Amino acid sequence: MADHSGKERIPGVPRYRRPKDMPTSGTEPFFPNFLLKEWIVGSVILVAFILWIIFNPVELTAVADPADTSFIPVPDWYFLFLYQLLKYIPGEIIWLGTVVIPGIAFTLLLLAPWLDRRKARHPMKRPIATWGMVIAMVFMGWLTYEARMQHEEALAKNPPKPAAPQVKDTAIVDPNDPGAKIFAQNCAACHGAELKGQVGPSLLGVGNKYTAEQIQGIIKSGKPPIMPANVVQGDDAVKVAQWLAKQKQK
Amino acid sequence: MLKKTYDWIDERLGVTPIWRDLADHEVPAHVNPANKMSAFIYCFGGLTFLIIMTQIISGMFLAMYYVPDIINAYKSVKYITDEVLLGSIVRGMHFWGASLVIIMMILHMLRVFFTGAYKAPRELNWVVGVLIFGVVMGFGFTGYLLPWDQKAYWATAVGAKIAASVPWIGPYIQTLLVGGPDLGAVTLTRFFAIHVFFLPAALLVLLGLHFFMIRKQSIAGPM
Repeated sequence: MADHSGKERIPGVPRYRRPKDMPTSGTEPFFPNFLLKEWIVGSVILVAFILWIIFNPVELTAVADPADTSFIPVPDWYFLFLYQLLKYIPGEIIWLGTVVIPGIAFTLLLLAPWLDRRKARHPMKRPIATWGMVIAMVFMGWLTYEARMQHEEALAKNPPKPAAPQVKDTAIVDPNDPGAKIFAQNCAACHGAELKGQVGPSLLGVGNKYTAEQIQGIIKSGKPPIMPANVVQGDDAVKVAQWLAKQKQK
Repeated sequence: MLKKTYDWIDERLGVTPIWRDLADHEVPAHVNPANKMSAFIYCFGGLTFLIIMTQIISGMFLAMYYVPDIINAYKSVKYITDEVLLGSIVRGMHFWGASLVIIMMILHMLRVFFTGAYKAPRELNWVVGVLIFGVVMGFGFTGYLLPWDQKAYWATAVGAKIAASVPWIGPYIQTLLVGGPDLGAVTLTRFFAIHVFFLPAALLVLLGLHFFMIRKQSIAGPM
């Protein structure tokens, strides 16, 4: 570290405790100064992440059934490009797509520092490396896009069986009950006008799961993480709960 | 009191030098977003690590309820999603976090690549980074099966078939991963073991090396 006429930074002394007249080169201590800034970025990302999670619940399709070969399989998005690559390669030389091409790509990536050995670091000063990577990324993006489109086409032609078919043919019990009106005003925004669920789960057949008293309890205390407490109160809550408890499936 | 406790421990374990090495180094100006907005691209590595930490923690909580056998796996995931307090949030965090880690990791890799930061003397750190990439993709592949729903089962069936098509060693990979000719009970326990024991061990060692090398070689200077 350069000598600042005897005012050299004492190890462990954060920037805010340094003398004001001490010259700096724009550097700062990792702890706590820099880490604090990183944490600010990190917490913004975390909050955005949590919001995303809340508004995008993970689905669970029907339980695995090895006998049902009609299910159209698709890998997670980050494997789609590999999956798509195989579609362009005929069956007998499939190893070209499963081993050779990905193997070469991975080896090139691993050996990048030895393939690109000149001192220059600016991307414009090493066109082969830069354009090689840009073309590879565009190619992978295109493969992913194609795979996605083809999967959606296949799904449109051959729609998957609904996970819970009993929800489809269950009718709402006693739609003229006073509870139904209170439900439509207070609960339908989340649970759907037809009780089929939107933000909240479907309530068709909820009577099989809970009694009127239990439903009343759920209305009173809410249900984490999303359903708030006391959306409906007092007498109305009793009416809604009694009506919901009637929603039974055979 | 606090100082005395620290001194007592320091006397016996000598933590001050370790602490100095870990935390007390100057961060160069060109990676600091407070100096120049465009320096935020240097945050991607740290953010990848942050999301990996959320993956480890949410995974540990999921393991409190998850049961890796074909009768109960699906039921336990359903229970986590529908019944457990904040269960759908923790599961959502683990599910979406997988994608987020990969996105952040790719951004971090592209930053390192386009700024030429892998050049001498940092070649080895690049190699370790590419290996981490492979391990993280392995997490994605093995984790996908665990909910044991239709999507998971059939996606993994395709993956296993692809692995089995590798010339010569394909059948051995198939046996190692799937445990037999068909996806079944053994496959689930194997994928679970790989996902929660083998890969985390590998990841922690590689991350340790990655960070050790960053401290040893420090961040590459401005271009």
